[in-house]
Amino acid sequence: MTQSKFDVNNEQMTSEILDAERELNSESQAHLNADKFARYSLIGDVMRQKDQSTPCIDITASVAAAIAEEPVYNMTEDAAQQTQQAKENNVVQMSFWRKPLSQVAIAASVALCTVVGVNNFMPQNSIDTQAPVLQSMPLTGSVSPVSLSSEPAMQSAERGVRELQKQRIGALVLEHQRQSRMAHALSQNTKQAEKGNQEEQ
Amino acid sequence: MIKWLAVLLGILYSAQMYANENINARQLLKDMSMAVQKRNFDASFVVVKGKGMEPYRWLHGQVEQTDLEILTLLNGAGLEVVRIDDVVTYFEPQTEPYSLSTDVIDGPIPEALLRDIGALDQSYDFVLGGKERIAGRPAQLVRLVAKDETKYNYWLWVDLQSALLLKAAYVNQRAEVLEQLQLTHISVTEKPASQLLDLKEKALPTPVSGIVDVPDVKQQNNWQIGWLPKGFKLLKSDRHKLDLNNELADYFLYSDGLVEVSVFVQRPLTGQRASGALTSGATTVYVHNAGAFDVSVVGKVPVETAKSIAESVKRSL
Repeated sequence: MTQSKFDVNNEQMTSEILDAERELNSESQAHLNADKFARYSLIGDVMRQKDQSTPCIDITASVAAAIAEEPVYNMTEDAAQQTQQAKENNVVQMSFWRKPLSQVAIAASVALCTVVGVNNFMPQNSIDTQAPVLQSMPLTGSVSPVSLSSEPAMQSAERGVRELQKQRIGALVLEHQRQSRMAHALSQNTKQAEKGNQEEQ
Repeated sequence: MIKWLAVLLGILYSAQMYANENINARQLLKDMSMAVQKRNFDASFVVVKGKGMEPYRWLHGQVEQTDLEILTLLNGAGLEVVRIDDVVTYFEPQTEPYSLSTDVIDGPIPEALLRDIGALDQSYDFVLGGKERIAGRPAQLVRLVAKDETKYNYWLWVDLQSALLLKAAYVNQRAEVLEQLQLTHISVTEKPASQLLDLKEKALPTPVSGIVDVPDVKQQNNWQIGWLPKGFKLLKSDRHKLDLNNELADYFLYSDGLVEVSVFVQRPLTGQRASGALTSGATTVYVHNAGAFDVSVVGKVPVETAKSIAESVKRSL
C-alpha cells in the first residue's frame, strides 16, 4: 500500500520536476524516476515535433534479446556460403555497379550513340550544308520519305527495318570499341614481326 | 653575292628553326608519355561529344615495381578498366569481365600518345602551337597534323610543369573541334592512391590470348578493300559473330597509329535503304548498301573517308 502510494507520489514528482513546478534539488531528486523522466521528455518533444537528431528510444537491448531467442539454422553452411560469396566478390565485383542497373545502361549507351547519330543522319551530299535555324520538321535526311497515303503496314515494315538497322549500328559501334582494345598490342606485334622478317632477309 | 648569302643564311636559319620546333614538339609528347607512365596521379576528366558528355576518373601509380592504373566512366552503368602491368581487365555491364595481355588501356586518349609516339610519324606531323591556360595551369599546345586530308587532326595541351595532358581534341580540316577531352582536376602525389593499393590484392580474370594466333587471323580474304587512307595498316581480319545481335560479319581492323578503323561486311538488311553516315563526336559510322552485301565502316575518321573505304570493298576474285 505504502509502496504503490510511493510510486504514485514519485510519478507525480517526476512530472512536476519536468514541468518545472517543483525545484530540482537533492530532496526531490531522490523521488525522481529517471526512466520516466526520459520518457516524459520524449513525449513532450515528439508532441512539439522537436527535431530528434539522435534516436532516444533504446530498443537494442530488447532486439538483441529477441535475436538470442531465435533458433539458429545451419550456422556452418551459412558461414561457408558467405565466405564463398566474399571470394566471388573479390574476383568479379570490384566495380561500383551492379547487374540490374548495368543492364539498363548498356541499352542506354548503345541507344545514346545511335540516337545522337540519327540526328546527324543526312544525305552525303548535304553534309556540309547548315540546317536552317527554324525547322518545323526534323532533319531526317536520307531516311526515305513516307507519303501520307502509304499503308500503315508499309510504315511499320519500314520502322522495323529502321529498328534493325539501329540495332545493327549499335552492335557495330560496340564491336569496334571492343576490337580496338587489342589494337595497340596487335600493332606492336606486327611491328616486331616486320622487324623479324627484315632481319631474316 | 652578299644578297645571295643573306638568302642562303635565311633559308638555313629557318630550316634550323623548323628542326628545333619539331624536336621540341616531339620532346614534349615524349615527356608527356613518360609522365603518364611514371607519376602517381589521380585525375578527373570529361569527354565532350557534341551535346553529350562523359565524365571519367583516372588513377595511376607504381607500387613496388608494379604499374597500376584504373580508368572509370562515371555516368550511367559505366565501364571500369583496370591495368596491372601488362594485363588489362575490362568490367562492363552485361558482360563477364575479361582480361587482355596489353600494356595500355584503350580509353578516350589514343594509346600511341601514352606509349610510343613513334607510331605516329608515318601519318602525322608534330607542330608546336601557342601557350594557353588550361585547367588553371600554363599549357603548351602541340598539334598532330594529318599528312593528308583523309584524317582528323589531334591537338593536345600539355602541362608545362608536370608534362601531363590537360586537354585534347579531335579537329577536322576546317579547324572545327569535333570531340574534346578536358581535365577538370588532377593531383600528382608522392604515394599512389589507396584504391590502387587495394587493386593489387584483387584476383582478376586470366587474359584471353588475343595475339598468339595473329598469322592465322590475317588469312581472311573473301573481300578486297580497294582503298584506304595512307598510313593505315591491317591489324586483324576474321569472321565472327557480333556480340550484341549475334549477326555474322567479316571483320577487318586497321590502324594508322592514332585511330582505328573497323570494316564490317554483312548480309544486307531487307528493304530499300540508302547508304548514309552517322556521327557522334569524332566517330563516324558509315553504312554502305552495296546490293548483295552491306559494308559498314566505324572509326574516328571523316565521313568522306569512311564512305570511300566502304565503297571500295569488293568481292575478291
